[in-house]
Amino acid sequence: MTDQDETGEVITILLVEDDAPTCWRLQDALAKAGYEVHTAGTLGEARSALASGAPRVLLTDLRLPDGHGVELIRETRQRFPNTEIMVISALGDEESVISAITVGATGYLLKDAFPTDIATTVRDLVAGHSPISASIARFIVRRTQNSAEPPPGPVLNTAKLTPREIDILWGIAKGFSYAEIASHLGLSRQTVPGHIKNIYRKLEVHTRSEAVFEAVQQGLIKL
Amino acid sequence: MSEIAAKTAVPRHALQLARMAAYLLLQALIVIAIILGLRLFEPRDPDNFAVSEFSLREAGTTRPVTLPEFTASRYSLTDPPLYSGRFVFRDDGADATWSVFLPRFSNGVEVAINGVAILDSRRDPTANRPDRNTPEIAVIPASLLHEGSNDISVRLFVWGPLRGFLDTVYVGPDAALRPAFETRTLLFVTLPVVFSAWQSILAVILAIMWLMRRHEPVYGVLAVAMVLGVVQAFITPPVPPADSSRLVGVLLSSAPIESALIVASAVLFLGWRWPRYGVLLFVPGLIVIAGGLIAGPPLPRILFMLLGIPTVGFCLVLMAGIAAYAALQRQDVVSLALGCAATIVLTCWAHDMLSVFEIMPNERTFVSRLSYSALLIAIGAGLTWRFARALNQVDSFAGQLVARVREAEERLKASFVREEARARAAALANERTRLMRDLHDGLGGQLISIVALSERGHEGATITDAARAALRDLRLVIDSMDDIGGDLMLALGSWRERAAMQLRPHDIALDWRVATPQGLPLHPELRPWHVIQIVRILDEAVTNAVKHAAARRITVTVETRNDGQGPYGVISVADDGRGFARGDDGEAAGGGQTARGVHNMRSRARRCGAVLDLSSDGSGTRVRLQLPQIFPDSDAAGG
Repeated sequence: MTDQDETGEVITILLVEDDAPTCWRLQDALAKAGYEVHTAGTLGEARSALASGAPRVLLTDLRLPDGHGVELIRETRQRFPNTEIMVISALGDEESVISAITVGATGYLLKDAFPTDIATTVRDLVAGHSPISASIARFIVRRTQNSAEPPPGPVLNTAKLTPREIDILWGIAKGFSYAEIASHLGLSRQTVPGHIKNIYRKLEVHTRSEAVFEAVQQGLIKL
Repeated sequence: MSEIAAKTAVPRHALQLARMAAYLLLQALIVIAIILGLRLFEPRDPDNFAVSEFSLREAGTTRPVTLPEFTASRYSLTDPPLYSGRFVFRDDGADATWSVFLPRFSNGVEVAINGVAILDSRRDPTANRPDRNTPEIAVIPASLLHEGSNDISVRLFVWGPLRGFLDTVYVGPDAALRPAFETRTLLFVTLPVVFSAWQSILAVILAIMWLMRRHEPVYGVLAVAMVLGVVQAFITPPVPPADSSRLVGVLLSSAPIESALIVASAVLFLGWRWPRYGVLLFVPGLIVIAGGLIAGPPLPRILFMLLGIPTVGFCLVLMAGIAAYAALQRQDVVSLALGCAATIVLTCWAHDMLSVFEIMPNERTFVSRLSYSALLIAIGAGLTWRFARALNQVDSFAGQLVARVREAEERLKASFVREEARARAAALANERTRLMRDLHDGLGGQLISIVALSERGHEGATITDAARAALRDLRLVIDSMDDIGGDLMLALGSWRERAAMQLRPHDIALDWRVATPQGLPLHPELRPWHVIQIVRILDEAVTNAVKHAAARRITVTVETRNDGQGPYGVISVADDGRGFARGDDGEAAGGGQTARGVHNMRSRARRCGAVLDLSSDGSGTRVRLQLPQIFPDSDAAGG
């Protein structure tokens, strides 16, 4: 069983994870599903792996021994726009996932996810379905509400989101399935994943100066 | 010690003596200045034109007299003394008008030239006031004069209470006499009117002051005194034998009352208590008034002479004493000014007395009433000074008040900030305590269990399950700490994901049924520890279904109920497993665990005011959690 994309090629994955057991675990799960997995333990290794060509999917941890995963995500996003990027998170917490989303990630993977779930998540991502958790959705929608003081956590510009997208995020945050959300909002079940991908894209910071600003805001760059 | 006492006592005595000496010296200087002033600034009359040699026909006898001259009687209206004299008129050719000028007389004069009357002072109300020193001048018609010697006769009307008086008469060119007349008019007629006007203004101001500040009688007393003074000045005095009303007579004799009032007001002004026997001061004045009202003229005038004038003098002495005492005690400008003014009036009063008793010969110029203006000025200055000082005090008080209020505000703000910080710290500590307890209950136990399993040499699934449970619990706690704005559905959304992830390897379907898009009512009072309790209950229910019931499907139902007393939420977890009884049979160890789990669920529900219903039979187990309408603030049933 070999997983291939629409063009029929084998899907290549670059897995960047410094914790060896976690790395093995994820690699095993993905390899069993038929993906071609390359691994890197540091930011440097990841960069040299990227030099030889673009993977279809980049899976990266944020805390790496020689740098921050956010830098890798941004670089990859700029150099290889077609590469799907996922952040590997221990807890799926907003802090790490949102900061990855703002630099171009379109999904996240839990380190303790079951092997089948790992493969499914990557497959969905390649198929254009970005996974989103209730807590991430909750974090985003709460940022769309006006509040007197800026809430803690990473800076997030939600101005570009449409009311419909915000409604979808509310539905996800409250635990409704895509089908339920579609029926509540009078949408087609199939369009919901597309909306979610759009949401991710809208939350991404595009210009270089914006990115620098965001990085400074998040304490990733020290001036 | 006695030495020290002596040392301090002696300088204080010395200081007081020195002060008194200085004060008395100042008053003495004032007296000397007044005496000199009266001498130096006495109006000069044109002596070249004096006519002093007259023959006086009085009470049937005729004798030669040299003016000034006092009459023998105090009352001579029927047969007034007649002064006959001569003067020489020389026509210089120029159109020089000649006049006759009488600087001082009392009480009334009728002047005739060559037998023709040209002046009757009784028609001039001002001239009828014995206290005003009113001069008179009359132009002699040219037709009456002839070259050489001319006759002049002066009839002097006297109606008491003093003896009649006629000062030197001047006859000469009008141009030579007029300036002296104008000077006297200015001093003795115009100035008193000016001062009376000032007194009336003072009366109005004081009356207003008293109306606005009834609790300070000093203003009322002074206002009455001022009104009396003004009335005396502007009432037309009667000219005997014409009879005037008794009231007018009485009002004209109100000076003793006025002076007593001024003494009273001085005492009150200086902040002392008016003594009860002080009423005695008003007695002479009241006697004069009573006598005047009952008997009518000329009694008021006589009583005034006998009682009134001494009373005025006594009051002036009292006033000088009071002001001197106050000036020595307080060392303030107002007391000193009052003291000086009292000395001035007293000196002038003494001067007038000397003239009344004819001790100072050839003179009858009364200056008491004029000098009274010094007292009026002092009173006005004192009031203004006091008013200005009160305003300053109000200003500084207002300033102090503003500063105080600002200080209090700052303190309040600071304490508010402190209190807020304290409350926040307390809330944080509370939250931390609960979090620690939850971590201890869940994560701690699971990690210890992992350690124990590893030490026993267990492999694989058991340790994995324990570790996964620990991770799930960690996620639960982290998730519950998030601000969900009172919407429990947001917590349930995350829980659904975790539950689905937990059930997937076991091939158990999670059926999620939410009755309405809103799901559950909003609870603004919802705290993280409520969320943790509720999610733990749901976790326990799912775990039981997985571990012991061998269920294939778990159905979670979320709905909002309303029994007419407000909405409340209900969350149900139902499985299609074997139920409790069978579970107990099958697994001996699991039975105890399940019982403990159920007990935990009930206790958690109680803590957040929810009601837990548990039913189990062969077709499955059903946990129904009825949420409260309002979550309790404190962990009442905690433990």
